Amino acid sequence: MTANPTNPFEYMQGLAAMWGRGAEGFAAAQQTMFRDMAERMGKAAEGAPAASPTGMPDAEALMAAQREYSRLWSSALEVSQTVGRVMREGAPPDPLVTEMLGKIFDPRPWFSSNDDIDGELRRLAEGPRLADLWQVERRVLNVFNAWTELRRRSLEHNTVMLDAWLKAATAFAKELNQKAERGEVLESWRAVLALWVETANTVLLETQRSEPYLQSQRNMLNASTELQLAQQEVAEFYSQMFGYPTRAELDDVYKTVTELRREVRALRRDARAGATKRANKSGGARGKAKAQASPAPEGADR
Amino acid sequence: MSSTPIPVQIKPSDAIAEAAALFQKIARGAELFRNLRDEQVEIGTTPKDEVWRQDKVTLYRYRPLAETRIGPPVLVAYGLVGRYTMADLQEDRSLVRNLLKLGADLYVVDWGHPSRADRWLRLEDYIEGYLGECVREISERHDIAAVNLLGICEGGVFTTCYAALNPKAVKNLVLTITPIDFHADGEHDRLGHGFINLWTRSLAPEDIDRLIDAHGNLPGEFMGSVFSMMTPMRTLMKYNLDMLEVMDDEKKFLNFLRMEKWIADRPHHPGEAAKQWLKDLYQQNKLIQNEFELGGRKVDLGKITMPVLNVFAQDDHIIPPATSQALGAKVGTKDYTELPLPGGHVGVFVGGKSQALLGSGIANWLAARQ
Repeated sequence: MTANPTNPFEYMQGLAAMWGRGAEGFAAAQQTMFRDMAERMGKAAEGAPAASPTGMPDAEALMAAQREYSRLWSSALEVSQTVGRVMREGAPPDPLVTEMLGKIFDPRPWFSSNDDIDGELRRLAEGPRLADLWQVERRVLNVFNAWTELRRRSLEHNTVMLDAWLKAATAFAKELNQKAERGEVLESWRAVLALWVETANTVLLETQRSEPYLQSQRNMLNASTELQLAQQEVAEFYSQMFGYPTRAELDDVYKTVTELRREVRALRRDARAGATKRANKSGGARGKAKAQASPAPEGADR
Repeated sequence: MSSTPIPVQIKPSDAIAEAAALFQKIARGAELFRNLRDEQVEIGTTPKDEVWRQDKVTLYRYRPLAETRIGPPVLVAYGLVGRYTMADLQEDRSLVRNLLKLGADLYVVDWGHPSRADRWLRLEDYIEGYLGECVREISERHDIAAVNLLGICEGGVFTTCYAALNPKAVKNLVLTITPIDFHADGEHDRLGHGFINLWTRSLAPEDIDRLIDAHGNLPGEFMGSVFSMMTPMRTLMKYNLDMLEVMDDEKKFLNFLRMEKWIADRPHHPGEAAKQWLKDLYQQNKLIQNEFELGGRKVDLGKITMPVLNVFAQDDHIIPPATSQALGAKVGTKDYTELPLPGGHVGVFVGGKSQALLGSGIANWLAARQ
């Protein structure tokens, strides 16, 4: 990237160009990889539940998501360039203002922060690595399908967020224009930042209540869940192969322990109730009932 | 966008002064950071003693800070979504300390840190099981028939359910920021309020089942992310702008860090209990309809016959006031009081004005009902 790092808009432009080239390369590489996988795994994939009728990951849907994201990114870039141009047309640009506005008009933090869920889900889901994939073919194909689906859903969600950023940027620019027309000025970077925060917050909160946002969140959550489950299936396979306890077996043990503890609690309650009843019948005091109800040695509850 | 010059006119001298002040702030903050000790950001420090323990659940009794004037003892129950330390964040922002100073005999239940091994625990295990055992322990220790319950957030739902199922064991019920009608979030349509309600309803019940099956529980980090989504710009700015604002002021900086410590300590919510919480309550809203079942028994809010104090935060974006206030029309007592306080969900406990009102409000109300 050759962009001048002191100019945020050139930086953004450079980043966008790199992103575009990267996306093209990624798409081409993926197509090759999936084609290769199909040839190698043709037989192994028979009978496996798959994301598409051929058992292949839905590469076309992923491409569509990438295209839509790319289209919006171009619009975002255009907005940023316009702001940059307007700034240069005005009074001699103050470097502090230029840098600060550049940061404000950078949509990337909207993905990294509002994409928290995506990040957390990915972190939670991406425990196992992909190194052993070729050894458990059918299950691995499921993992790849689920992984592709998660990438696609993540892109779709980022597209919704990018759209929101565009709306916020437009609203912010409009507000600045209106202030200029009214002859009002913002005299500190804090004032500019406060205006941006207020504008962006409103747009973000409105976006979060929208159907596209909720739907893309749900899709991403479900895709992450399916990836986690597909990976667990691979882990179960390995555990069984090497004689280790499986996740399902451990969960079964936990269930038994929980049920036993529940029973113990109920039995203790019944025992205490019985003791209290007997103590009351014999006219004993509450303290006596307590003593009778606690036959277990010290620390038995612990 | 037109070519109107942007109305940002920062004078070079002002910019330099601002930058210099900023650098000074950062330098002072860095110095504070360097000298920071772990004990300075400890939370939940009010002295207390363990009096009972079962599995991962511990019952503590706080040591008195004044002569006991309020009886019977008060049992504080937080939910499983966060930790009870919110009520005792720091010495000068502590509901626990405020109540102790006002003469309450205080106990708190700590649910611990559930792991995957606890995935099968259901809400009835927590409410009828552990909470019930805590009530029994306190009752036996003090030789009393009923205790005061103080529920916070999800813990308020626990105490509400317990009181409805065991009215004789509860002398007074105090609820703070507690959701009862999980669908009342739309009553006062305020932007950003009730997002968790909306978000949970956007999921299908089977989405929740699959999520829990995959993780075994509702991961604490996941819930943390959902909470972050509710204040999007605040989340974006928190670690640069907000921290920068306070980092040269030791008191404010330590407050900030203690709050961050509490936020980071978000336990996993046991899986089966999370399914009930999200599906039965958030999605199907069974509690307000008297349809919520625990261990085969329906929770009938009309069976809540003891006095009730319902405290809510007027700007609570997580538990919008209407979701709490719905309880008033459902309880079986005429001694029902609402205490609206300024501030948000957490601000009620740590905000300068609210937390003082909260402590005295609860203490006075309890003192009048001994």
